[in-house]
Amino acid sequence: MQKVSLKINGRWKQVVADSDLLLIDLLRERHKLTSVKQGCDRKGQCGGCTVVVNGKAVLACVTKVARLEGAEIITVEGLGTPDNPHLIQEAFVLSGAIQCGYCTPGMIMAAKALLDTNPNPTTEQIKAAFRHNLCRCTGYVSIITAVKLAGRFLRGELKPDDVRPKPDAPKIGVSHPRPTAMIKACGTAEFTADIDMPGALELAAVRSPHIHARIKRIDSSAAEAMPGVVGIITAKDIRGTNRLKTRVPDRPVLCEDTVRQLGDPVAAVVACTQEQALAAAAAVRVEYEPLPVLSSPQAAAAPGAYQIHSAWPNLCFQQPLIKGDAEQAMAAAAAVVEARFKTQINHQAPLEPEASVAYLEGEGEDAILVVIGRSINIHAALATLQEALGYENMRYEEAFSGGQFGIKLEITTEAIAAAAALRFQRPVRYIPSLAESMLLTNKRHAYHMHLKLGADATGKMMALTGELVEDNGAYNSNADVLLGRALHMLTSSYYVPNIKVLGQVVYTNNPYGSSARGAGPPQAHYALECTVDMLAEKLGIDPLEFRKRNSLATGQTKATSHMVTDVWPFPELCDAIRPAYEQAKQRCATYRSGPIRRGVGLGAAAFGIGRPGDKGTLAVELDPDDCVMLHGAVADPGEGNDAMLAQLAAEVLQVPLDRIRLSTRSTEDTTASGPAAGSRITYMMGGAALHGLQQLKRAMDEVGSKSYAALKAAGKPTRYMGEKSTVMTAPLDPKTGQGPSFESDVHAIQMAEVEVNTETGEVRVLRMVTAVDAGPIINPQAFAGQLEGGADMGVGYALREEYIAGTTKDWHTFKFPTMQTAFDSEIITRETPRARGTLGATGVGEMTMVSTAPTVINAIKDACGVWIYDLPATPAKVKAALAGRANPVA
Amino acid sequence: MPQDAERAQLASDLGREARLVAGREIYFDREGFFWEADDWDEEIAIVLLRESGLAELTETHWKVLRYFREYYFYHGRAPLNRQLKEGIGLSLQVLESLFPGGIRKGARRLAGLPNPKSCF
Repeated sequence: MQKVSLKINGRWKQVVADSDLLLIDLLRERHKLTSVKQGCDRKGQCGGCTVVVNGKAVLACVTKVARLEGAEIITVEGLGTPDNPHLIQEAFVLSGAIQCGYCTPGMIMAAKALLDTNPNPTTEQIKAAFRHNLCRCTGYVSIITAVKLAGRFLRGELKPDDVRPKPDAPKIGVSHPRPTAMIKACGTAEFTADIDMPGALELAAVRSPHIHARIKRIDSSAAEAMPGVVGIITAKDIRGTNRLKTRVPDRPVLCEDTVRQLGDPVAAVVACTQEQALAAAAAVRVEYEPLPVLSSPQAAAAPGAYQIHSAWPNLCFQQPLIKGDAEQAMAAAAAVVEARFKTQINHQAPLEPEASVAYLEGEGEDAILVVIGRSINIHAALATLQEALGYENMRYEEAFSGGQFGIKLEITTEAIAAAAALRFQRPVRYIPSLAESMLLTNKRHAYHMHLKLGADATGKMMALTGELVEDNGAYNSNADVLLGRALHMLTSSYYVPNIKVLGQVVYTNNPYGSSARGAGPPQAHYALECTVDMLAEKLGIDPLEFRKRNSLATGQTKATSHMVTDVWPFPELCDAIRPAYEQAKQRCATYRSGPIRRGVGLGAAAFGIGRPGDKGTLAVELDPDDCVMLHGAVADPGEGNDAMLAQLAAEVLQVPLDRIRLSTRSTEDTTASGPAAGSRITYMMGGAALHGLQQLKRAMDEVGSKSYAALKAAGKPTRYMGEKSTVMTAPLDPKTGQGPSFESDVHAIQMAEVEVNTETGEVRVLRMVTAVDAGPIINPQAFAGQLEGGADMGVGYALREEYIAGTTKDWHTFKFPTMQTAFDSEIITRETPRARGTLGATGVGEMTMVSTAPTVINAIKDACGVWIYDLPATPAKVKAALAGRANPVA
Repeated sequence: MPQDAERAQLASDLGREARLVAGREIYFDREGFFWEADDWDEEIAIVLLRESGLAELTETHWKVLRYFREYYFYHGRAPLNRQLKEGIGLSLQVLESLFPGGIRKGARRLAGLPNPKSCF
């Protein structure tokens, strides 16, 4: 032990510390400075714990307290408070640099250290200073902007009020600061692991080291006798169905007799400390009998393959899509191209580990089991947990969550934490490591695709045939829904009159797949958009002209034969991006020889919004203090739901933004209206809010007052339920895949400029231009943030990222995008109102994730003449393609 | 492959199945819950109640169904059992025994309240 004196946020402290005590633990656990985030298993990889020590940015997770004698430490709590923020905190809020907010305190402290020594840094200097700080949401563009703006504030060139929208600024089309941005900037937004629960037990799970095995015996006797252990639960301790059912009841909370993927949970230990729980979990002896491992859909669908679930065949879902006569049209085509593609299993990579806590509120039979977790579909999560655990009297609360990207549509740690809290009648925290979080979460499905595309002599697409095979992994969570999304949007921006494509979902022993930003269409668009480029090349038509020529038009039909009645402004986007495209082609023309080549690629997408059968509900209530409360389960995990709803309400009611409040996080006082996921929120939930707000507005107009007292005195209700349903409700025909489809679309075309080192195979994205039309823009910063972040994620998907169970364990092995890999971004917007949009608007949460990967792959082809058929386009794959080695997918 | 097995393998687009009830086409989820609460009416409820094996509908049954629906349309979600108990003034034991399938799979389903949706 050693006594250390150090100054923390201006106050001297004396700490008697073990020589191994890390600064992050001192700050978080002892001083409750929870802005200091842990997101990388204390490996110094994420920067979430960045604090300033003696004027320098330091990673608290790799800094020992024993070495800090006399040090002065500042955390983001020491910079400013929401009522009195520091200029850097103001700059981050006003630049739209805060989405989920998990990385934000670390980013702000890195900025503090940089700007204290260099008040006017260049972009390259910022990139160097932030080399240890990761962000999954923003693509880093707005963070660089924020650091530069902070510099201007600190140099006295500008004041926050010069930048902040004025109180009388329009409510729509202006980047009003997000309602929760400042508390995130000041470190007071509580993520699950930040919740103070004195006396709570800590949980550690026992997970399978086998990919597929029968559980022969579990012996927990040694573990139960270990210090601090309160108890151990296995499947037999769970009172309900023990199934986390989304589509079919195949995923257990704790496995009963079989593990089907690496890391499947077998038991859980609760103890007084996390160290004790982890030690005891390691002491639980499980005897396994290995079973055959099916690691590809081809192996799993082969005749005689081992059946992974006795109740469902390995080939568990099929959806044909048959439009017109594709075989005849293909036979008549003037030009035909055909290729096979494969995408990787990928991790959505939120920075925050999958933390959950659970406790009983009240006592006896009336006790409410409260689960605080990370789900963005809290009512569905509640219903699933009630059934799985056999306990009805529950409440689910969504904490602030550090990144979403689809991963939080699934229940993960909540179920085990809640089961343990029920079993032991004690509060339980389950705060897994990053490595375990990777192991236990749903992943983006791998797709194996074969597409054949034919056109006539005039360059009009006539037929599309092929297969999409979705590698379901070990459990089925929405696999058929996501395959359906890929098929609904199969022909995307284009009109293709004849289609015959078969979609299949196959169980394997790979990590189970589920929602991931875009959820189905990104995989299919990679294949489609590369095939489109191949066909344009074969026809000798410029790929931009080819895309425009084949644009669907209002009155024509999508892949499911759904006739488009809304606007289809894709040709206009092709025109809008043309100047940037022509300039990029000219720039790249000088890099056609030598080892360094540059190329330009295009990718397009029409992303569907408003799937038939969707409905949003949201309650609008005028409170006694004349503020307006919106009740809906649409907590904002970073996309900007809160800004959209607040600005919408202020606009409709013509009241100041500070009179709008949002209640979005608890099942107790929100409406159940589907997942708060990406692109449906502005259209469906914004639409529901609009409906409720219009009812309230009508009542206010009739009374001639906006006050609660006046409405009450006039006998008017103060609460109104808003709804929005899609016009079409019928499902697709299961045998032909024909029927109504998404009723509106976001349109985009992207252009990537890349540099390929033909000697090393390395690819660098230099610039990305996105031309997008999603209807009127409600908050321009939030809008751009989604596009920039989605493009950064898309580039990672195209070039680097892959989840390999057992190998991908941290951000380095995942190849997380950094500020070093960030690229210049330009966004061109058009704002064509949609017929049923929310004030004409749709949403862009997933847009650029859909078309970025093919855009990059097409640019690689343009640069060096080779196709990459198997994502990600790693240097090894690019080199192999350049060397003319066989297509690994063929 | 037998026809039923082949049919079961076909994706059913969000898990909806149409059924003709009292002359109307209604969408239900795979558990038999209404896809859309507005599709419910008393005539349809009577058909479904009889299908569930309930021979006689008392005023108490209707009181429970109406409570479910009023709560749902005000709060935008189904009530928890404790809220139902408080609202109806009957014990959970009595409420569970009123409908075949109990409170959730009986009363709540027959009141036309949809399950929370998982994904679109």
